[in-house]
Amino acid sequence: MAAIAGWWDDFFWGSVVVLQVFVTALILMVLFGLIGAAAKLSKNRVAQNLAAAYTVVFRGVPEILVLLLIYFGSAILLTSIAQIFDPSIKFVDLPPFWAGSFGIALIVGSYATETFRGAFLGVDRGLIEAARALGISNFKTFIYIQIPEMWRLALPAFGNHMLSLIKDTALISIIGLNETMFVAQQATGTTGKPFTMYIVVGGIYLAFSTVITLTVMVLEKYANQHLEPAR
Amino acid sequence: MADNSQQPIILLEDVDKFFGTFQALRNVNLRVNKGEKIVVCGPSGSGKSTMIRCINRLEEHDGGRITINGHELTSDVKDIDAVRREVGMVFQSFNLFPHLSVIKNLMLAPRLVRKADKAEARATAMRLLERVRIPEQADKYPSQLSGGQQQRVAIARALCMNPEIMLFDEPTSALDPEMISEVLDVMIDLANEGMTMIVVTHEMGFARSVANKVVFMDGGEIVEENTPAAFFDNPQHQRTKLFLSQIISH
Amino acid sequence: MSFDFSLIIDSIPKMLMGLGLTLQLLFISAVLGLALAVVLLLMRISGRWYLVWPSVTYIYIFRGTPILVQIFIIYYGLPQFEFIRDSILWPILREPFGCAILALSMNTGAYVSEILRGGILGVDRGLHEAGAALGLSVRQRFVYITSPIAIRLAIPAYSNDIISLMKSTALASTITLLDMMGIARTIVAETYAPYEIFISLAAIYMVLTWLAQKGFGRFEMRMSRYVKP
Repeated sequence: MAAIAGWWDDFFWGSVVVLQVFVTALILMVLFGLIGAAAKLSKNRVAQNLAAAYTVVFRGVPEILVLLLIYFGSAILLTSIAQIFDPSIKFVDLPPFWAGSFGIALIVGSYATETFRGAFLGVDRGLIEAARALGISNFKTFIYIQIPEMWRLALPAFGNHMLSLIKDTALISIIGLNETMFVAQQATGTTGKPFTMYIVVGGIYLAFSTVITLTVMVLEKYANQHLEPAR
Repeated sequence: MADNSQQPIILLEDVDKFFGTFQALRNVNLRVNKGEKIVVCGPSGSGKSTMIRCINRLEEHDGGRITINGHELTSDVKDIDAVRREVGMVFQSFNLFPHLSVIKNLMLAPRLVRKADKAEARATAMRLLERVRIPEQADKYPSQLSGGQQQRVAIARALCMNPEIMLFDEPTSALDPEMISEVLDVMIDLANEGMTMIVVTHEMGFARSVANKVVFMDGGEIVEENTPAAFFDNPQHQRTKLFLSQIISH
Repeated sequence: MSFDFSLIIDSIPKMLMGLGLTLQLLFISAVLGLALAVVLLLMRISGRWYLVWPSVTYIYIFRGTPILVQIFIIYYGLPQFEFIRDSILWPILREPFGCAILALSMNTGAYVSEILRGGILGVDRGLHEAGAALGLSVRQRFVYITSPIAIRLAIPAYSNDIISLMKSTALASTITLLDMMGIARTIVAETYAPYEIFISLAAIYMVLTWLAQKGFGRFEMRMSRYVKP
């Protein structure tokens, strides 16, 4: 166990990177999911088809392939664009942090699209009708009635998306991000104890997913408290 | 041993039942003789369903004794299985097995529990489907039948086990009005053939014409017990009078 | 920015040679995973604490950590121990294929057992009671009533998991296996044309996913023929 001794620091900073990626990707994921859901629900044929293509592509392709594509693909794209402005530029790439966060947000976002769409459709028509009958405007109905209901319905699946997100961060090590997996690889090189090191990585992720699961449990309780039957 | 004809087929003695701190059954005493038809009525939450569900151990009573056809109902699995073979139950929501056709629904328990062979089980099943007047639905699936038909299948399914006693837990409450009579007719036939029946229901017409005794429950207790005529025309307790006035005023 | 079509036409057949390995990884892991899932499920619902707790813990660990980490622990980590290297399992654990199968099966087993459990929970309680009232024993109820209905309920989630499993097989390329992804990365390393290669590979995977979804859709329709539309 002394082998780990020198590496706690590195693992700590690696975990910080994981957290940073997670938060960044989470925000993007919600954004992509909402946009996708809105597109699917809209009357616009083009938007619907784009959203459909989005979900089909990102649910049908392995995550690691998406990340490699975005990382290399963005490099090619950005280099081409940069060369338009300054032909002497040889290579522009997207740092793994951004390519990775963007990538996993797109992937999980395609699942989130379905979740948000389902939650939106799942809101009881009766509630909306009652609000309108009371004279509450379309917009206010959306904010005060529909959104809280949607949130409550989407929460369990959203919790799963968050878990997927945190676990997918491990894949970003493949495109070179210096986080826990990367640290483990280096540590293995010097200590010759791969099992120990990767178990530590596993433990770190287990801790993260536990926190997420507990947070979701608390949020679910809070969101559903008004549904408890009177005793 | 007491004379067989005087020994009740169902005996509840001082039965209590708790759900957590809530007392659902309070000191319930009930004697049912073979061949009797008992109608149990009362407001929601009065314990009527709980009481009959204790009789076939879908609920476990916490105090007192329940004796069915000579077997005392305990937590011993053998006792429970013995009782369930003799007691049939019909549920408010039918509970037909959706993945099996009507005839298979009827054949399942006799084959698994009574170890009947396929031909025997099928013959019994068809006979009972004729008795409930829907033999032509044998190969259909429950989802293809109307509510009234489904409930009649449920009655036939319970009868396939050749029970001594039939329990009915609000059998017509989930049915559209026009289908209630087809189910009640089957139940009346059953009653006339001598089956021992306990029926939890709001159908007072059925109670008047078929029941030997009407039992009124409220707050987990049996408040009043009498013959139908006496019960409806001359209720003794205040709570009974209140209940009757509420259901008749519709 | 040029798009080298000739390279794509050249590379697709090469990548498809890895299809066999991809499918092997998929099917073997799916079957082993399903068997494991059933065992875990029965342990989970057995009610006996010494069976429930190991099962719950196993599922928690395998669902709470990334599959890549699991693969690495098995492939890179296990050889750290002498008793592993000396054991009879070593021929399997030494090979990347064996490690990949092991990791994928153990992972999918955890997910599928929860999916099956969800199916069981979805069976209407009233059907249980009807079975009990008819005198069916607990085991009989589980086999004849609960299981058929639970399986039908679990199909959508299960099909998603199989598709996930198929995507996860691509991770085998990180431990040197030459499945479709592995071959693709080799070609990219030689030709420096990641865009074309990876996009065509993505197209191949999308076709496979589409086929899998169609297949499961058919299966679900068949199983649901008795359900009210």
